[in-house]
Amino acid sequence: MTPELLLFALAAGLAIVFALAMVVEKTPVRSVLSLVVTFFGITVLAVMLAAPFIAAIIMIVYAGAILVLFLFVIMLLNLNEEAREKDSRPVQRVLGLVSALALGGLLLGLTLRAGKPPVEPSTAGGRIPAVDEIPLVGRLLFSDYLFAFEAVAVLLLAAAVGALILSRRRMD
Amino acid sequence: MSPAAFFLLAAVAKIAVVWAVMLAALLPNLVWMERRGAGLIQDRPGPNRVGPLGLFQAVADVLKMFLKEDVTPLYVDKLLHTVAPAILLVPALTTFAVIPFGSSIPVFGREVKLVIADVNIGILYVLALTSVGVYGLVLAGWASNNKYSLLGGLRSGAQVISYELSMGLAAIATFVTAGSLKPSAVVEWQVQTVWNCIPQAVGFVVFVVAAFAETNRVPFDLPEAEAELVAGYHTEYSAFKFGMFFMSEYANMIAASAMIVTLYLGGWSLPFVTFTGLWGGLLSIAVFWAKTLAVICVFIWVRWTLPRFRYDQLMNLGWKVLLPLSVANLLVVAWIVAMKGPA
Repeated sequence: MTPELLLFALAAGLAIVFALAMVVEKTPVRSVLSLVVTFFGITVLAVMLAAPFIAAIIMIVYAGAILVLFLFVIMLLNLNEEAREKDSRPVQRVLGLVSALALGGLLLGLTLRAGKPPVEPSTAGGRIPAVDEIPLVGRLLFSDYLFAFEAVAVLLLAAAVGALILSRRRMD
Repeated sequence: MSPAAFFLLAAVAKIAVVWAVMLAALLPNLVWMERRGAGLIQDRPGPNRVGPLGLFQAVADVLKMFLKEDVTPLYVDKLLHTVAPAILLVPALTTFAVIPFGSSIPVFGREVKLVIADVNIGILYVLALTSVGVYGLVLAGWASNNKYSLLGGLRSGAQVISYELSMGLAAIATFVTAGSLKPSAVVEWQVQTVWNCIPQAVGFVVFVVAAFAETNRVPFDLPEAEAELVAGYHTEYSAFKFGMFFMSEYANMIAASAMIVTLYLGGWSLPFVTFTGLWGGLLSIAVFWAKTLAVICVFIWVRWTLPRFRYDQLMNLGWKVLLPLSVANLLVVAWIVAMKGPA
């Protein structure tokens, strides 16, 4: 077993185990923390793929901002035990299962159809050539994906304005 | 020796040097400096009984923390209560991986760059680690099952998220001029031109203020505000777990000072001096740590001089003053760089 494979197994295992823990755990705070550990595992995978920029962004945006806000809401509402017995909408379970299966199938299908990886893991010592990815990402964002980029910016602005309006209405 | 083995050995040696300086030399003496400095500023002696000038006070303090009873209060979340100090301490100690602490020294005919990991993402790594550190504070506050702790933890979370933005935007301006996200490239740029604190004075001020907030130091120590929250997030901690919070505050302060030195104060360089060879390399390490120590002294000086902010003042300063300033700074710097054309 090569060190790379061992590291991959550790990181991927960590991500999967804690993703399951996130679903199963009954204390919401611990669920959020399990998700943080999952992101940590994914970060390690991104670093192994010679994409440290993606890794840092996952850590900063997801673990550092979004999940901290989740934690805030949970702590402020003091949701210590999930209200499990009041499973008022059983249709949600079915819908959740269906969408999870659909997403999993889609990912699996795409992975199988993608064909050979650009770098054969068994050759070249399993090394992926390191590129300075940040200029590449920047150039792609402002050329090929300009429309999507701007659309996301508008979406975020709309969300921010919406949050402001909602909080103001409550103040009056 | 193969290049890979040499690389590994060099990395381990560099980590050993950095941690030795941080944990053995800086951390204990900082506590002494802080307490003696407080004495100096408040016109009283400060701790002066243990050893000459009270220098061994730190040893006594650490021994006390080891030997005290470790109380875990009832009704706390035991697992999270235990891991929270570690979650805070580990990022504080690993930030140093990307900070260049010297120029380079020749070892066995190879040039060894004095930075543990000269990665392309530099500052993003530091920001990612600080955002993980927040979990330590927030969890300590939540797991303690105490309303003061919870308030302290939430305050720290809000504070760190708010100031991280200004800090990152201020820092990015220095990377725009250097044309790379590598901290070592920023130092190189400053060696060739001028220290960033002069052309980027606005960014410098924003970064320093945000660094005070990120390290939870006075005047931004709202999370532990003893007059209103007992001791905030570490109210329910004792013995060595409390010691870990204490250590991580100082480790964070060292890391923040080192970042300020690297980005704005020329890193390991001195104007009109070039460091070459083994002695030059060692001298550059000394210069780096001397500068870092000087910035730490400012942190201590400020703590015993300024009163604490009120919480709404803190948020106003972060969002209405520092954030617009840092955005304006970034835009102006980017515009100037774009006018000059690609370097």
